[in-house]
Amino acid sequence: MQTKLDVQDLNAWFYQKQALKNVNVKIPEKMVTAVIGPSGCGKSTFIRCINRMHELVPGAKVSGKVLLDGADIYGTMDPMDVRRKVGMVFQKPNPFPNMSVADNVVAGLKLLGTYKKQELSELSDANLKSVGLWEEVKDDLKKSGASLSGGQQQRLCIARALAMNPEVILMDEPSSALDPASTAKIEELVKKLKNETTVIIITHNVQQAARISDMTAFFYLGELIEFDQTANIFESPKNQLTERYITGRFG
Amino acid sequence: MHLLSRKRKETFVKILCFLVTAAVIIPLLWIIGDVIYNGLAAWNISFLVSPVIQGGIGNAILGTFIINGMACLFGIPLGVLTGMYLSEYGQEGWFASMVRTTVESLSGIPSLILGLFAYATIIIALSQSATDRHYTAIASALALGLMMIPLVGKATEESMRVISNDIREAAIALGVPKWIRTTRIVLAIAKGGVLTGSLLAFARISGETAPLLFTALFSNFWPTGINQPMASLQVLIYNYALSGYPNLVTQAWGAALFLALIVVAINIIVRVYTKPKYKEGF
Ligand SMILES: Nc1ncnc2c1ncn2[C@@H]1O[C@H](COP(=O)(O)OP(=O)(O)OP(=O)(O)O)[C@@H](O)[C@H]1O
Ligand SMILES: [Mg+2]
Repeated sequence: MQTKLDVQDLNAWFYQKQALKNVNVKIPEKMVTAVIGPSGCGKSTFIRCINRMHELVPGAKVSGKVLLDGADIYGTMDPMDVRRKVGMVFQKPNPFPNMSVADNVVAGLKLLGTYKKQELSELSDANLKSVGLWEEVKDDLKKSGASLSGGQQQRLCIARALAMNPEVILMDEPSSALDPASTAKIEELVKKLKNETTVIIITHNVQQAARISDMTAFFYLGELIEFDQTANIFESPKNQLTERYITGRFG
Repeated sequence: MHLLSRKRKETFVKILCFLVTAAVIIPLLWIIGDVIYNGLAAWNISFLVSPVIQGGIGNAILGTFIINGMACLFGIPLGVLTGMYLSEYGQEGWFASMVRTTVESLSGIPSLILGLFAYATIIIALSQSATDRHYTAIASALALGLMMIPLVGKATEESMRVISNDIREAAIALGVPKWIRTTRIVLAIAKGGVLTGSLLAFARISGETAPLLFTALFSNFWPTGINQPMASLQVLIYNYALSGYPNLVTQAWGAALFLALIVVAINIIVRVYTKPKYKEGF
């Protein structure tokens, strides 16, 4: 197992409140890692430290290291570069309402760079295909991204993150606002994604974690309680808290 | 008994509301009716298209549009930049609160004072001597443009501020720098509000007379450039209405009708434009 992200002594605060306490974890490459734990335990804070978005919140502070392929993202790297390498999908689908479906997919490339129209259009089509949205929207490419259904919007947002060709993709409860059919599509997609990239996904649904992830990290009150292969976490958790959480006795 | 008195009270309040509303609406309808009735009496094609020297108001219509246009050229970009700064950059800190206070003060300054400012800076600077003042429409545009900044700024700030933070976060997560996010995502989404605010600001300055009186002054001829005295509907109405000559007073009504139509047209455009759309897509 190649390590993609090596998190060392990570601490995070909101003003005085410490939201992450000394987190150490090695996230393997090209696998799906699920992050679980009760509400407020620091899951979102954890993944937002991995693309340097935590520091944008007023009062936020971070200490520790996050090595991406051995290079500390809190070192000399430009935070913008970090975010291009580490993509993110949010709980609420957030396509750009001022852009068409096709433009939404390549929004990052378009806003940043000097791509030719032809290249952009090809990349847009390809990424829509890889999230399984192409057949559904191929006649509506010029419509606003906000005109799609919630589930379609979320896959559009995944396509938008994928178009940047990220090395890691972070997902913060990407299906919690969606219906069961859309959720199933997102889950299929996540399983497929690990062929190309490393996925870290937060979920409130422990069955979902069991279905789609290779590794599972359980957080409680800002601490990483247990990190192991998903099968081990669900069949023989080492920590009492983990067991109580996955069996639904709290959270 | 108790119920009955309650019902009576309600009826009383209803009647009172009706009377107050009528008291507000009747004078308004009266003014509009007066302007239309008296204004139409002056109107014919040649009145609208010939210059003052030939008994028309054509050069004043053109002058109002040129002066307003120049004011927009300067007031809208500065207003948009100010609004953008206040919404996306200036949440806290002494500079932001200074900008905010300045904008608020600017919106409270009487237009007469802005006209005086334009007079003191531009007219006096360009003049040869105190007896030979160089009046110019550019100074009017400066005064009106200054009026537009807080109007456009507030509209921009408000329409950017209501945009959900989720959208900003989406752009941040793609590694898009703040300047590009602000202009090409947030401002682009807010552009309807910015346009509405700009149109309303245009309507607002169309009625301003004081700042034009001693800057653009007046002219009886078609304008041949912008750095010269220029007629405007506002000053024409002011001059003619006070002239005492019945035919000029009629012409003042005619000009007033045109000015009123500009303002009404803008308000209708804004209404239609901002009507909620149920159609999907853009
Ligand atoms: N913007 C903020 N300002 C102050 N405190 C915050 C902020 N965001 C989160 N917190 C606090 O930090 C802690 C961790 O929050 P975080 O959002 O990471 O939890 P989470 O595990 O993602 O919860 P959920 O499952 O509800 O999304 C919580 O106690 C929360 O109250
Ligand atoms: Mg969360």
